[in-house]
Amino acid sequence: MSLREYCLRRVCFGLLLIAGVTFVSFTLMVYFGPDVAFVLAGRNSTAEELQAIRDQFHLSDPFLVRYGLFLKELVTLDFGNSFVTGVPVMRTLAKTIPISLAVVLPGFVLGNVLGLGFALIAARFRGGWVDRLIMGASVVGMSISLLIVVIVAQIVLSSEYGLNLFPSRGWRMGSLSEYLTYVTVPTIATVFVALGYNTRFYRAVLVEELSRDHVRTARAFGASPLNIMTRHVLKNALIPIITRILFTIPLIVVSGSLVIESYFGIPGVGKITFDAIRSNDQPILKAVVSLTAILFVLMLVAADILYRAVDPRLGDQ
Amino acid sequence: MSAGETARQSLWSRAVYKLRRDRVGMAALGVVLLFALIALGAAFGWWAGDWSELKGGYYDPMSRTYWFGTNVNGQDIFARTIYSTRVAFEVGLIVALMSTLLGAVLGGVAGFFPGSWIDEIVLWVKGVLDSIPFYLFVAAVAYAMQGSAWGMHVALIVTFWTTTARLVRGEVIKLRKFEFVEAARSIGVPERTILFRHVLPNTLPILLVQATIVFVSAIKSEVILSFLGLGVKDGVSWGLMISAAAQEVLAGHFNNFIWASIFMFTLVMAFNLFSDSLQDALDPRKV
Repeated sequence: MSLREYCLRRVCFGLLLIAGVTFVSFTLMVYFGPDVAFVLAGRNSTAEELQAIRDQFHLSDPFLVRYGLFLKELVTLDFGNSFVTGVPVMRTLAKTIPISLAVVLPGFVLGNVLGLGFALIAARFRGGWVDRLIMGASVVGMSISLLIVVIVAQIVLSSEYGLNLFPSRGWRMGSLSEYLTYVTVPTIATVFVALGYNTRFYRAVLVEELSRDHVRTARAFGASPLNIMTRHVLKNALIPIITRILFTIPLIVVSGSLVIESYFGIPGVGKITFDAIRSNDQPILKAVVSLTAILFVLMLVAADILYRAVDPRLGDQ
Repeated sequence: MSAGETARQSLWSRAVYKLRRDRVGMAALGVVLLFALIALGAAFGWWAGDWSELKGGYYDPMSRTYWFGTNVNGQDIFARTIYSTRVAFEVGLIVALMSTLLGAVLGGVAGFFPGSWIDEIVLWVKGVLDSIPFYLFVAAVAYAMQGSAWGMHVALIVTFWTTTARLVRGEVIKLRKFEFVEAARSIGVPERTILFRHVLPNTLPILLVQATIVFVSAIKSEVILSFLGLGVKDGVSWGLMISAAAQEVLAGHFNNFIWASIFMFTLVMAFNLFSDSLQDALDPRKV
């Protein structure tokens, strides 16, 4: 199979996935979702008012027509106005995405770097007490719910029952110091929750690479442990590591963090999604869900093609 | 070699042997069974039947009558914590059972006929479901099934079966080339029987381990989803208790939070450790 044919196949599969993703989001949220006419018109509305709204939003049209309209919204990136605020959905997203990025990125980077670091140490001393300590701590970290971590972080760091160092909720990023005071607690919570999973995942990848024949050969030729880790193991383990990071990106960019943002009252994408769930704000919800999913599919296809182009060994499969 | 030693060579007896020597794993299993007993008792009404009664005062402290104190409505937090164990097991068991069943059947069929149209469709559905972020998908399902108590369960099952299906598919692709499959085929056993009677039972170790992982994930998801307003609707659960605590802790009322967290953490931790031990015992290659 040539590279071009492969690309074509992956792109076709990606298109099929996008078709599926849009179909599922449409069916769940638009077709089977609650009657938006009632949401929009309020409780004490007349039959005529309801009918007018149904006509305006094509609620009585057949399934396929409405699906077509939904696809049109996606292609033109025009999801209409929020039912609650009346502001165009895309303008709301443009305002909230940078905030979500600012909230999630530090924790994401730290969580992955620290996870990889711990995994390197654990894999280097595999079977020893350092390894067991790190893996035991990972299981503990994995067993604590994000919600518990967030609440404990708030009590310990930003309440009168703890150190009371940071604001308990809210968001401001006028200056760097302001940004740092507001981002610290959410970041600590994110890192704490992600660290266990990341460490375990990266350790598994590294241990598998460590047991390869070429590593044994390198060791036999007297390469130092550091040399083996960086040049022979880490380099080969890059593909699963990059994949994991790539696939988290759509989540960070579009959906932010539902729990952290809504808990700390940070006005990012996660918070508006949370509010949209609570208030049946369909335009926001369908924009966030379908855009995240489409971005994910694009990443999937891009990653496949990239690996194939970069790593000639993948060609024969 | 004596008969006993030969018997120990079977995958299951060796797994049991390994598991019983794994002290951490056995202790974890003990804790899980204790929680299961608590849940069973709550389900049969042996205890904690009074979890919704308003009998104490406003945030009563811990006392001999109310071991864990009372909440804002004067309800006994001890009874609520105990009863929530039942809810957690209900969510965990239903989701783990259904998603494992779905994953085994769909993954098995897809893997038994790799490259066929059935395989393509299963892969496509799996790809689509994997592309929609977890919480957003649950939100979408809950949004569609508004008012239904089963929205969360359905969403969790639909999300979790894909991983099981992927693992089973990979294993079945390997297994279908084995000689016992060829032998069964050569004496005229129908394909369906080969798959469900001979091939799928061999994926049981994978299914078992995966089911424990799903169980834990379901319990953890319930907490987050209840906080987001998408989880348990009527009744009580650790998720609802912790969500309520989110409003209380800054005012200095910690009992809801502490007890729900401790119970949930202990169960999840024990299940995680047991799941790891099970994996060690069942996978001869694992290091």
